[in-house]
Amino acid sequence: MSIFEYNGSALVAMVGKNCFAIASDRRLGVQLQTIATDFQRISKIHDRLFLGLSGLATDAQTLYQRLLFRHKLYQLREERDMKPETFANLVSALLYEKRFGPYFCQPVIAGLGDEDKPFICTMDSIGAKELAKDFVVAGTASESLYGACESMFKEDMEPEELFETVSQALLSSVDRDCLSGWGGHVYVVTPTEVKERILKGRMD
Amino acid sequence: MSRRYDSRTTIFSPEGRLYQVEYAMEAIGNAGTAIGILSKDGAVLVGEKKVTSKLLQTSTSTEKMYKIDDHVACAVAGIMSDANILINTARVQAQRYTYAYQEPMPVEQLVQSLCDTKQGYTQFGGLRPFGVSFLFAGWDKNYGFQLYMSDPSGNYSGWKAAAIGANNQAAQSMLKQDYKDDITREEAVQLALKVLSKTMDSTSLTSEKLELAEVFLTPSGNVNYQVCSPDSLSKLLLKFGVTQAATEAS
Repeated sequence: MSIFEYNGSALVAMVGKNCFAIASDRRLGVQLQTIATDFQRISKIHDRLFLGLSGLATDAQTLYQRLLFRHKLYQLREERDMKPETFANLVSALLYEKRFGPYFCQPVIAGLGDEDKPFICTMDSIGAKELAKDFVVAGTASESLYGACESMFKEDMEPEELFETVSQALLSSVDRDCLSGWGGHVYVVTPTEVKERILKGRMD
Repeated sequence: MSRRYDSRTTIFSPEGRLYQVEYAMEAIGNAGTAIGILSKDGAVLVGEKKVTSKLLQTSTSTEKMYKIDDHVACAVAGIMSDANILINTARVQAQRYTYAYQEPMPVEQLVQSLCDTKQGYTQFGGLRPFGVSFLFAGWDKNYGFQLYMSDPSGNYSGWKAAAIGANNQAAQSMLKQDYKDDITREEAVQLALKVLSKTMDSTSLTSEKLELAEVFLTPSGNVNYQVCSPDSLSKLLLKFGVTQAATEAS
């Protein structure tokens, strides 16, 4: 079994009209055994920037702590928050530093950049960035997620419709993946507020 | 005075003094005053800006006050370039602690860690000491609000009210007279501004010559560090009646 499939994960980020949504599943497993059903895979870097980390949970936690360290120092020195594009470059650089002994994670970065323009991107475990205008996916359920997002995505969705679309795409994809699921965690971010919602899906 | 024992930081004089450290403290005695006052519900830091010129590019950055972490801030007096290095060191130390222990670094530990760095420059390496004194104001869940003063020798101690920089002895004695143990944050601001106005050399006190920062707890229980905006500062100066020249206010 691949190390990336040890804990199981599903992550998706989608762009809407002046907003974005980032969603994850809630299962933490050790191969076939489910250990936790409330695992947080998405973390806030600042009010307009969220990071989701799929893959090996321990690497995801450590990587998040390291990134928070770097972002805190950036905030203190520059007296402002990091732009999503800049943050993506930082993540990419940190991952590549470990090119020959990598973090077994696949990050999904979602944020609001200048003029509230939504920004999403994902990268592989050694920092190859993939920018997208519509959606990005990661995790053990990524193949199903690609299909679901491709068919359900529409451009310029309002926050409420975006929430529905992301939730349906996530839940239908994790149902086809035994290693991810046990509900969903969705953040919908607009320039004025962050709405966090928990989804109840098939609890298996 | 045994001048022959001056030039190396790492040796004592026959009288048991470290001259380089003392000379560093001299340098700080020429810098703008900074005052810190601890109250029940917060800590207040006030600083005198030495460099005021019309030609100076206005920026939102502060000259005397710096945030070290979300729960600790400091006021500086002395050589600014030395201060920048130490502030950066303190910030990295605070983040390293948070990375290792996943919680904010206790204030005293942060001060001690920075002072250990400063002490190193008085004992080995052959480099001169940092010409900076700090006033650290912060909050942690073990000891609540705290105020610490540190100097170039690497010594530090906790204070209820302290002053560094020019005229610090005059400021300190004024604080000793007027400080009360149960002082509130608003009274502390008033006291700090009053003491600073009396010790400052300038003929009139405007918000351009001062910086004011406070560390306090928000209603939701989070620590907040806030620098007073120039407008609010002007209003405060008017409210407390300290905008006149130092000789008139009494």
